[in-house]
Amino acid sequence: MDLPLSPILLFAGCGLGALGVALSMPRKSISPYIFGAILAGLAFGLVMLGLGLKNPESVPNIHFYIFSLIALASALRVITHPRPVYAALYFVMTILASSGLYLILSAEFMTFALIIVYAGAILITYLFVIMLATEAPSEVQSENLTEYDRVSREPIAATVAGFILLGGLTTLFAVGLPNLKPDDKLAAGDRQLAFMSKKVEPVLKQAGLLKDGEKVVASRVETTAYGSPKDGDTSLDAIKIKSADGKERLLPRAEWPANLKLSNTEGVAFSLINNHPGAIEIAGVILLMAMLGAVVLARKKVEMDEAALSAAIARQRAGGRGDDELGVDGPFARPGTGEGGVA
Amino acid sequence: MNSLSHMLPMLTSLDLSSTLAQGPLPAAMSTITLYHYLFTSAALFCIGLIGFLTRRNLIIMFLCTEMMFQAAGIALIAFSRFHLNHTGETFVIFILTVAAAEAALALALVVLLFRRKESLDASVWTELKG
Repeated sequence: MDLPLSPILLFAGCGLGALGVALSMPRKSISPYIFGAILAGLAFGLVMLGLGLKNPESVPNIHFYIFSLIALASALRVITHPRPVYAALYFVMTILASSGLYLILSAEFMTFALIIVYAGAILITYLFVIMLATEAPSEVQSENLTEYDRVSREPIAATVAGFILLGGLTTLFAVGLPNLKPDDKLAAGDRQLAFMSKKVEPVLKQAGLLKDGEKVVASRVETTAYGSPKDGDTSLDAIKIKSADGKERLLPRAEWPANLKLSNTEGVAFSLINNHPGAIEIAGVILLMAMLGAVVLARKKVEMDEAALSAAIARQRAGGRGDDELGVDGPFARPGTGEGGVA
Repeated sequence: MNSLSHMLPMLTSLDLSSTLAQGPLPAAMSTITLYHYLFTSAALFCIGLIGFLTRRNLIIMFLCTEMMFQAAGIALIAFSRFHLNHTGETFVIFILTVAAAEAALALALVVLLFRRKESLDASVWTELKG
């Protein structure tokens, strides 16, 4: 069987990575996370070097190595950093690095959508909630860190499970990928240009392919679900031009000017609107339901649990925090009357 | 190490235009190159999974699910480039949608749970099981 990488190397990489991740988990004693991170990075480097040496003709661009190393290293830091705020900031780093990966895969629109929506909006929401929902520090806890942030739960078992999954997934990819062929029928190409008369017209005029009084007519592009024309239908590879006296002629694909190209954003837009219009509706419903749910949850009156309440009162008596923090407006005001929760 | 010297000119080419898709049909991507991206995506997914299992802070657990979404996004974009088809990119838009909806709902829930127990520890809610 022709595998892109020897399985021994793959499993060795997975084992080394598991060791590194398990070492860098937060624990009660000093955790050797720098050592663990170096081990995990070595494991990634080992697998990538093995892949590159076995198939030197198809190594990706060097930017791939830079971005994926940044993404994986900061992802490791997200799950090992004891402070939630820092973990969220490292996650922003992961997002930026994976948007770099999107860029080298020539998905420019999604790159910037990812930065704006993910790093800009979703992560800020996370940071807000981290700052809202932070436990009042007491003197027992060191450096403001709570016990559940400093100690991880079952690090060894979780790491073993995760890396067995990684080994299985990558082995299956390695076995299955050689059978995968890029399908020419799936390729979107730039046939949709025949539909975009306003974009095409100035380019044709500039190239001198459009005579006086002639106009480009948008022709309906009949596509399959994958965005390509139906089998054997080559008539779509032509731009329809209408002259002033109503005569129509076709400009075949071979005569199109070289600078007439479909941009990535236009391609995504055609795929979204032409091929997946129902999915947009579903996405809208999901967002609406999430908004309704969040509003309902946020308006709910919550009473504090009895154990948590007595702990908070004990903390207040011990003087862990100033009195202004637990004043009348605080969440523990007037226990038992039911008006303690924030409405 | 003969193959390494063969690899070097490709590695040192800092010109992005060789990888960016150009023209009506850009150069095809080999399955091995696709495998590189899929490996990164799988590794990111597994790190997110390990984080979800080990961390006890509710907010970090949801951050790890976002990381798994991100891994799926990288795989989708890589397949989209491999097939020279925009459907994969379109589905990343829906990943973003689901991630945003999940963030809104999950964080509202986390704030609710925090108000009740004054703690973000997932294990204080163990009494909920069965």
